[in-house]
Parts: sequence; C-alpha cells; structure tokens
Amino acid sequence: MKRWLERLWRGRRLDQDVREEIESHLEMRAEMNRGAGLSTDDAGDLARRQFGNSGQVHEDVRRIHLGEWLEGLQQDLRYAWRSLLRAPAFTVTAILAAALGIGATTAVFSAVDRILFRSLPYPAEDRLVSFGFAAPIEPQEFMLGTDYVEWRERQTPFAEMATWASVSDCDLTDRNPARLSCAEVESTFLQTLGVRPLLGRDFTPEDDRPNSSPAALISYGLWQSRFAADPGIAGKTLSLDGKTATIAGVLPASFELPTLARADVLVPLRLDPATQRRPQTGRLLWAIARLKPGVPPDQANQQLAPLFAESLKWVPPNFRKEVKLRVRSLRDRQVQDARLASWVLLGAVLAVLLIACANVANLMLVRATARQRELAVRQALGAGKARLVRQTLTESVLLGLLGGAAGCVLARLLLRLFVAIAPESIPRLAQAALDGRVLAVAIALAVLSGVLFGLPPAFQIPHAEWPTGSRVSGSPRLRFRESLVAAQIAVSLILLTGAALLLRSLWKLESVPLGMRTAAVLTARISLARDAQPERQLAFFEELESRLARLPGVSSLAVTDSVPPVGPARSMIFSAIEIEGRPRFGQGTGGMVTWRTVTPGYFGVLDIPIRRGRSFQDGDRAPDEHAVILNEALAARLYPREDALGKRIRPGLSGPWLTIIGVSANVRNNGLSGQDGPEYYVVRRHSVESAFRESSVLIRTQFTPKAMSDWVRREVATLDPTLPVALETMDQRVAKLAERPRFNATLLGLFAAIGALLAAVGLYGVISFLVAQRTQEIGIRMALGATRAEIARLVLHHAAPWTLVGVLAGIVGSLFATRVLRTLLFGVPEKDPITLVTVSGILLGVAGLASWLPSRRAAQVDPMVALRQD
Amino acid sequence: MNKSSDSLQGTLDLLILKTLYRCPNHGFGITLHVQTVSGGLVCVEEGSLYPALHRLERHKLLSGSWSVTDNGRRARYYRLTPAGRKRLAEAEQSWSALSKGVAKVLRFA
Repeated sequence: MKRWLERLWRGRRLDQDVREEIESHLEMRAEMNRGAGLSTDDAGDLARRQFGNSGQVHEDVRRIHLGEWLEGLQQDLRYAWRSLLRAPAFTVTAILAAALGIGATTAVFSAVDRILFRSLPYPAEDRLVSFGFAAPIEPQEFMLGTDYVEWRERQTPFAEMATWASVSDCDLTDRNPARLSCAEVESTFLQTLGVRPLLGRDFTPEDDRPNSSPAALISYGLWQSRFAADPGIAGKTLSLDGKTATIAGVLPASFELPTLARADVLVPLRLDPATQRRPQTGRLLWAIARLKPGVPPDQANQQLAPLFAESLKWVPPNFRKEVKLRVRSLRDRQVQDARLASWVLLGAVLAVLLIACANVANLMLVRATARQRELAVRQALGAGKARLVRQTLTESVLLGLLGGAAGCVLARLLLRLFVAIAPESIPRLAQAALDGRVLAVAIALAVLSGVLFGLPPAFQIPHAEWPTGSRVSGSPRLRFRESLVAAQIAVSLILLTGAALLLRSLWKLESVPLGMRTAAVLTARISLARDAQPERQLAFFEELESRLARLPGVSSLAVTDSVPPVGPARSMIFSAIEIEGRPRFGQGTGGMVTWRTVTPGYFGVLDIPIRRGRSFQDGDRAPDEHAVILNEALAARLYPREDALGKRIRPGLSGPWLTIIGVSANVRNNGLSGQDGPEYYVVRRHSVESAFRESSVLIRTQFTPKAMSDWVRREVATLDPTLPVALETMDQRVAKLAERPRFNATLLGLFAAIGALLAAVGLYGVISFLVAQRTQEIGIRMALGATRAEIARLVLHHAAPWTLVGVLAGIVGSLFATRVLRTLLFGVPEKDPITLVTVSGILLGVAGLASWLPSRRAAQVDPMVALRQD
Repeated sequence: MNKSSDSLQGTLDLLILKTLYRCPNHGFGITLHVQTVSGGLVCVEEGSLYPALHRLERHKLLSGSWSVTDNGRRARYYRLTPAGRKRLAEAEQSWSALSKGVAKVLRFA
C-alpha cells in the first residue's frame, strides 16, 4: 500500500532530487573544508560527519511528502464524512439514488456477463468455432457424415476439428438402474476444446474404430454420486443400455458441452468412414473446430468454400439455393438469440444509472448552493480552488462508494429475483453470482458515478474573487440543472417506450389464438427404456391408454408422439411428400411439414375442429388401414384448386399410400410468434409400425390437474415403477413459450419505472429549489396583488419548457433507440405512434405532478413571512 | 502538518524565511548564513533543515528550483513566495512579542 502511494506521487523523481540536493550540500561543505586546509579525502569525510545521517534526512523528507498526501486524503474523508452526517436527508436520498442505479446495473451485469463477456471455459476459446451447413430444415449449422469425413482430410483453416451427435437418454443398467444422458463424441472432441480428463485418459482414435471395445468418459458429477469419487475408477466398467463399457476417465468438474446440454457420459461416436461415405447412411452431426492461429472465421469460411461447393453436388439441385456454409464462434452458437436481449437490458440499466447520477448531481448542486457561504469562508481563509474541488470530489466519491455498498445488497436481491422469474432457456443465468469480477465492476461503477456526479458541483465552485457570501441565484447554474432534468426526462421516455413496446408485444403474444382449447388438459410424457423392443413399446402404450381411459374424471384422452404448439415434433421436407398422379419434386425444399401420430381422441381432447371430412375412428387403427388428416395450411398447399378429401399422398416417397379422410383447422405449431405451418396427422395403429419409445398422453379432465397427476403417476407405476413421468398442464406448456418475452418485458418495465421515478424526483427537486429561492419574490408579488393561481402558474410556467424539451428529445431518441428492439417485437411496429403518444402522455402527467406539488407550496407562501425572511 | 506552533520548529522556520527574505539561497547557504550572522551562536542542523525546507515548500511558503552557484555548482535554490512573505511578517511579529514577553518574565523573576 505504502509503495503504491509512493509511486502514485512520483516518488522516484523526488528521491532523485533529494539525493542530488544532499550531494550538492556535501560537496559545498567539503570545498569549504578544503579551503580551511584539509586534504580532499578528509574534507569529504568531515563534511559527511558534519551532515549527520543523510539516509535519515532522506527518509524524513520523504515522509513529509507522503504524510501530507495521506493526511490530506484523511482530512478530506473525515470532512466529507462529517458534512454528510450533518445533512442526513440529503445523504440518504443521494445514497438511495446511487444504490438504485449501481445495484440494478451490477445485477444485470452479473446476469449477462456470462452471455456477453466472460470467456467460455476452454483455453483460447476465441479460436473455437462451430461450422456446417445452414439450411431451412434445421436452425443450427450441421454436417452430414459423408461430407465430414471428406472435409476432415482436406480442410485447411482448422488446427483441430471434431464432431458430436445429439445428446440423448441412455440407461445405466447396473444394479441400480438410472436414466442418464449420453453424448456421442468423436475421439478428437476434448482435444479440440482443449480439455483434459481429470483422471484416466482421453479417447484415442482407437476408440473411434467401429469394432473396438466400448469406452466411456464419465462426468465429475456422476463420478462423485455414483462411484463415490473412486480414484481408481479408470479401467473399471459400467453397463450402458445393456452393453458393458470400460471407463476411460473422468471429466473435470468445470467441463460443459458447447451447447450447455447436460451430459453424464461421453461415448465415442465411432464414425465408420466407409459407411459415412455412402450418402444414404451419412449421419447428421454437429461440428466444432479450433482455427489455426491468425485465421478469422470469415477467412475459414472462404477456405472451406471449394469443399462446400463439392458437397453441394450431393444436394438435390432444387434445394441447393437454400443451403449455405456457416462458420461462427462457439459462443454465438451457445448464446443464440440471448445476445440482443442481454445488450438491451444492459443498455437500459446503464440509462437508469445515468438518470440516477444526474439526480445525485442535482442534489449536490442544491447543496453546493446552500453551502456557498461555507465555501466562501473557506476560500477567504486561504483554501485554494483546487483544494475545494478535491474536497467536493472526495465527498461525491465517498457517496458513490456508500451507494455502491448499498447497491451490492440491492443487487443480491435483484439477482435472486431475476433467477426466480427467468425462464430456463436463458443460458447460464442460474450460474450468475456476485463474485469477485462482478464486485470489481460494482466498485468501478461506484467510483465512476461518484466522479460523474461530483464534477458538475466541482466545476461550479466559484473563484475566490467572486462576491462572497451573497446568494447568487446565478442563472447558468440553474440552467445546467434544468438541462440535467430535461436529459433525465428524455432518457426515461426512451426507456418507457422500449418497455411499453415489449409489454404490448407480450400482450399480443399471449392473446394469440392457438387454434385449440388448452384449459383443463393435462399432458404426461413417458419414455421407455432404451432397449425396449417395438412390441413392448406398442403393448405398453396401448395398455396405458386403456387403463387411463377407465380412470374416473377423464372426459377424453389421446396418445400422441408430440404435442403442439412447440417441442420436438417429427417433420418432413415438403417436397418429399409425393402426391398421387403428379410428378415428384417441386421447386426447392418447400420448407418443413410437421407430422404427428395420434389416437382418434386427439382432436376431441384439444378441441381442434375438423373442417372437412371426418376425424379418425377406431376402425382406422387396424394394421392395414392408412388414413391421414391434413391441416388447412397443408391441404391448401397440396391441393390449391381441388378438394383434398379422398386423395392419396405418400410422405417420404416410399411406403404405402395414405388416404386423406379429413382436413382439420390450423393449430399453432411453430411456437407463439411463428406462422401456422403445414401439418398432417396419421393415426396410431395397432401395429409395430406405430410403436414409439416416447409418447405423451393428453387427458381432458374435470378434476384438478394435481389430483389427476397422482392418478396418472400411479397407473404408470403399476405398469413399470422405474419409468419417470413428466407431467404438465397444457396451459403451463403454453405459458412457458412467452417466458423469455415476459422476462425481458418485466425487467425493462422495472427499469423504465425506476428511471421515470428518478426523473420525476429530479424535476420535483429543481422546482422546489426554485420556489425556495424565490420565496421573497413570490412574497412581493403576492403583496402587490398576485393571486395564488397566478403564482402557481408562474412556477409551472418555469417547469413546462424543460419538460417539453425533454419529452421531445425523448421522442426523437426513441425513434432511433427502439430500432434495436425490432427482432424482439411481435405484432407491434417499432415506430408505434400509439405507444409513443401514450408514453409521452404518462411522462408529462408524472412531470406535471412533480412540478405541481412545489407550485402549490409556492401559492401558499405567506407574503408577510416571506418578506421578513433574511 | 502544520506544527508551526511548536516553538523550536517555529524558530527554525523563522530563521529560514528570514534568511531567504534577502535573496534566494540553497540549503548549505542557509546554514552558513545563519551561523555567520549569529556569530556562531545559532547552528542549523542539516538533519532538521532539509525536512523543514520541504515542508515549507509543500505549504507553498517557499518555491524551490535547480540553479547554478557562483562556483558553477548545481544546487537547489529556495525563494520566498508571497504567502511566505506574509507568513514571515506574522512570525516576526509573534516572535518579537514572545521574546519581549519571555524577557519580561525572566526579568521579573
């Protein structure tokens, strides 16, 4: 600490100076001694002796400078502390305002830090990319095994590359069976990420060979919970889905998949180049790579272009235009669309911080005016302007730090609130915490805000030659405060507009017609063991269906492989649906068509109207029946000018022809904000072709969902007590879809409200100050016959122009600022006049109230009292 | 660190300020001047002189700068600032009052 302070005051130059000064003294003394007849050596020695301990002198001088500095600081701090204590109302208000700004900013920063700033837990993560084809059939870039094995040999931009296939359920079939999640990864996967196993070994190319003995890497969590952190775990075995695998090693505790999906076990992908090279058997894979040093992602994109052009040859010509090559950073792949919302929230909260700083600056200016006499006295006593500026800044930074400390407490509470209301889909929010990094930011914010709101009052410290002691109602000072308030109003208008737009979108989103009735419908998702055979799958769900149908309180019931409006559903390329009597393949892929396999009760449970023809009946479930129902969107695309009923289609271009027996109404199947996509339904037949390992049961019930859930659980348990059941009402499923927009709208709304409140307090403060300052003038006016109404008008007249300037600036700012919100909006244009008018109205109302209160006080001034003042 | 109330240190400050009143000088010059003018009665120790010079400089009573002596030697010269002049006047006054007072007390006893 001491050393740091010394350096701070350029100690080195001073040390040098002092040394030279002492040296020159000694030389002069020695010279005089020589003049008295001593030899050169003796003269020098005597001079040194006469001087005494030069090291001590040096030290004393140094202490004087350092001590002065420290003492000044200590004195300033003590003085600032006392003067804050003397004005508790001011201090508490200022600390609260600063705490609000700093706390909110800190909380949001800690929430978005991992999305926007903190690096991924892989070494040199800026060189990690995700790459592959971008096509309409899949939102993420993907590779096909065929192309991957080719690219792997011939690519140039990557130092290392690896693939992994999707993360899926797997069953630990040891003594205590458990459902785990397993990820299939190429043997180079960990190496590419730069991760080393905690124990044991990484996968080797040998593990990737199709016929090698199975190996597995287990997660730290699994190692702890299942194997009691056995240090000799490597080389032992576990059985996965009934097959024995050797545990190669344990992953570090900090390991995470690039998608943040949970994985308990990594198993080798075992791509067989020979199989993969045949396009029909190529697998869908996710690919990552480590760029060679100095190669940016777009350059990698260019270098891969020739390989990509070759791969395109395999793509049917009519699809080619829709397929692109994409290389993007692993972070972008991970945070997806959370980035924009994060920036918006951070921007909003910084705006709140600025408003809060303006407020505290305003308060300090009021105080500076009140303390003008004190300052004048201190100047008269010889305090320089620099000293007083330093004093003011010390006080404001102290305020900032106190506000920051209170802000940290607030941030903790806010963060807890965020995590509580946040949807699961926001990456990494659950990990957000007030750690050292976040605290450092909080302290930096506190000091920065302290300086920020200390500068205006510091600049207004008068020069010594100003008339001292007089009450200067200096107009430049007031004008500055008024422009601060105008700026606050403008910024909070922008915030309010943004929040209002998000809230309106949310409202529109939640009132979107779904095309079905979701109330009183319970869904239960059940997935059977991985090694369950199709016969068992069919038998299980048919048995469950008949058992549940017998339960009391079940008014209708259906079994389906997937449930709208979102979630994993089977889908088919539009142009792969063959229509009887027409040539195969149209232009392009035509996008994707959703399809579901449902029991006849499906349309009844969800109350989906059948527009033409009929719904499925039990007769359709016979193994040799092939009935299909289209939704209106698909019917209109397949048969724009004819009646679809009775026609036959063949999805996937092979298998039996399906006869269209009905056309149903459209149902939301692309999430809430997406268009109703084309969709078709096939019936769940009494045949192993309709066997699914995973299915959902939909139950419309008169009972409460809670009571029904227990019944369902019990029925599933009688069939197989080991099966997990995920129960949810349809309403819960739908509500989840609006979670992210609701989260964003709630937070932005909260910040906008805080901002508007602070701005109103600022305006109130300025007008109150004005009234207090002009009490005498008001008294004279009233004595001369001005009415109370006239006085109130006089005051309001003063507030009006600044408020209007603020509102107008805010409207102009909003037109620019809301542009960034465009992709977060639904059903509301970003330049929405209704929103702007409403928000301006609200803000004008609040501003009116904030200036009306002090104006009323002005009108109640008693002229006699006012004139006797001072 | 205003310890001018401390009488010994106050005396040293007064001697320094008075010496520099005539013309700017360096540290060694100040010791020499005080010793010569007082006829060897008062001796300024270097160990106290330099800290005092720096303290007075920090208080803006003196300003120091490097310059060359008549013998062509580099030395740090100190000169009085206006504030230093003011302080000297005050100190002289209070010193003479003090010494008069002390003398009276001594004579009485």
